[in-house]
Amino acid sequence: MTVFKTFLKILKKNRGMVIFYTVLLLVFGGINMSANKPTTEFEATKPSVLIVNKDEEVGITKDFIKYIKENSETPEIADNEEARNDALFYSDVSYIVYIPENYHNDFMAGNAPELEIKRTGDYTSEYAEMLVKRYLSVASTYQKSIKSEAELIEKVNETLSKKVDAEITSKLDTTTLSKASFYYNFASYSILACLIYIICLVLSVFNSEKIRKRTVISSMSYKKHNKDLLLSNCVYAVTVWLLYVIASFVLVGDIMFTSHGAVYIINSFVFTMCATALAFLIGRIVSNKNAVNGIVNVVALGSSFLCGVFVPMEFMPQSVKAMAHVLPTYYYVKTNDAVAELEVFNIETLKPLIINMGVMLGFAILFVIIANIVASKKRKIG
Amino acid sequence: MENVIEIKNLVKQYKELKAIDDLSFEVKKGEILGLLGPNGSGKSTTINCILSLLNYNNGIIKIFGKEMKPDSYDIKSKIGVVFQDVSVFDELTVYENIDYFCGLYIKDKETRKKYVEDAIELVGLKDFKKFYPKKLSGGLLRRLNIACGIAHKPELIFFDEPTVAVDPQSRNNILDGIKTLRDNGATIVYTTHYMEEVEILCDRVIILDKGTILASGTTDELKELARIEEKVTVEVNNLDDKYIENIKSNNNVDEVTYDGNTLLVTYIEGKNNLVDMIDYLKKESIKYNKIYSERPTLNDVFLELTGKELRD
Repeated sequence: MTVFKTFLKILKKNRGMVIFYTVLLLVFGGINMSANKPTTEFEATKPSVLIVNKDEEVGITKDFIKYIKENSETPEIADNEEARNDALFYSDVSYIVYIPENYHNDFMAGNAPELEIKRTGDYTSEYAEMLVKRYLSVASTYQKSIKSEAELIEKVNETLSKKVDAEITSKLDTTTLSKASFYYNFASYSILACLIYIICLVLSVFNSEKIRKRTVISSMSYKKHNKDLLLSNCVYAVTVWLLYVIASFVLVGDIMFTSHGAVYIINSFVFTMCATALAFLIGRIVSNKNAVNGIVNVVALGSSFLCGVFVPMEFMPQSVKAMAHVLPTYYYVKTNDAVAELEVFNIETLKPLIINMGVMLGFAILFVIIANIVASKKRKIG
Repeated sequence: MENVIEIKNLVKQYKELKAIDDLSFEVKKGEILGLLGPNGSGKSTTINCILSLLNYNNGIIKIFGKEMKPDSYDIKSKIGVVFQDVSVFDELTVYENIDYFCGLYIKDKETRKKYVEDAIELVGLKDFKKFYPKKLSGGLLRRLNIACGIAHKPELIFFDEPTVAVDPQSRNNILDGIKTLRDNGATIVYTTHYMEEVEILCDRVIILDKGTILASGTTDELKELARIEEKVTVEVNNLDDKYIENIKSNNNVDEVTYDGNTLLVTYIEGKNNLVDMIDYLKKESIKYNKIYSERPTLNDVFLELTGKELRD
């Protein structure tokens, strides 16, 4: 208890930093919550398509133009090629269809006349192409068996008017899950910073040459002293973790009571243990109190940036992604991101997440072993 | 009387340098042993070896009749150490600091509370219990350092130069405290540069240099090792060389030095040197401001044994 009580007294003197990193999490977590309001309405996007018709506006040509106009936006563009090219360049229009002369006659004759196309290449031009191909594909199919243009138009319109009902089978509340993922990803920064700052500070005090000498000559075994210190660190770490989990229930809401929430909580607990071991190792190596702030920035901020806490991993260069693999935060963030997309919970789907947590525990064990080696080397002063 | 510490043939070597060279000595129960020596003489190395803070190359160290090892926690529970550097937590108050270090030895809360109060009383920090170390003066910090080392009422206490850079009031307080500890039955090993402290406190003195014992004994026994018997100092201005030569010509005079203001005469023997000097000055009508006689100090002994001052 002597060591634990002293740990708490030193912690109390430095509680400002714990409050700072907690507020940081709540503020940034909160901002993300309000920025990601759930979308409840759906509106179809219409591509902007321009039709330059050199044929007569009759028969199949007329119907094709009618179909495209009904399903797209038609921008007002001057009737000259330079203006059309400019509109395409500035994305005022994404797709231009040139209908050649005598198109409807050639089509009905089964000559399969070609349409000239100009496009921007973006996703709306893809959608426009889909519309054009859809119409022509249906019309071409009927043209082989129907010789009357009016009958063909009627059949084409009948087919194109048919709609398919689609049902979204996924029951995932992706908006809330992405909120939870963001919160827990950001929590990794706060957890690392809080743990490294306080644990390193406390250990640097206990490990200072003068205090350590007094401890070594005392009748308390060095192992017991170390064990008490490690236990104090763990109690502190679990308290920080609990605080952040409780905050997640308040900020994220009901999803925390689901299986998804349970995995977030378990993952954050494993990460907290790993962060504690890392902080314990750093604290064993560092004996200068003034260096602690710098170390927090390098380790907590650095690994958060590298492992996709602030910027998603898909935007990171390959070299950074490769580097991130040697950091526990990478496996923590990877698990959180995977949880957000997890629909079914079974051994197969949970296996990659369990492996990630296993890797984090592996890191924790490695850190503790190295910390003990460093501690035993430092025990003797000569 | 039983030995509290027994050291036999202790050797500590740093590569080519022998910091301790075949050192053997004992410390008796209830005595205050002074370890005297200049910087680098091996005092701190000896203490660190005794406390198992340092590995040593050869020798046997026994404390309370048992061999001292890093895991000899039963022996360690009876030892207190007051290090030269102030070794306390800046983050804890005076009371909390003493309580923490006492807590490394004493588990029982009530006993510890009493011990902490006793230690505070002993070093005179009653009015500073709630002060943080940064608010204490150098002297008060030293007292806190002592309290942290002795609060658990050890039977054997090591003091490593506890009065360095301490004001006279704190020094007297510290020395009184050490005497009280001895009176309460503690055995004390005391290292210092200050000979006057050794003369006041120590029952026995060991003079160390280059890791070996040059001499040991009581202060009186050590002083007998000195070749000189007495030192007479005269404060006198513009003394003519012929008088200095006359004084030197006396058979019992060892050395005469004069810096223009102070004449220092050391005598090999003779019990009336001061009276003889006064008579001589009167006879030659030499006017002087002050004249006094001193017995040789431990520093004189050390100077003779090693050719250098203790504080070199």
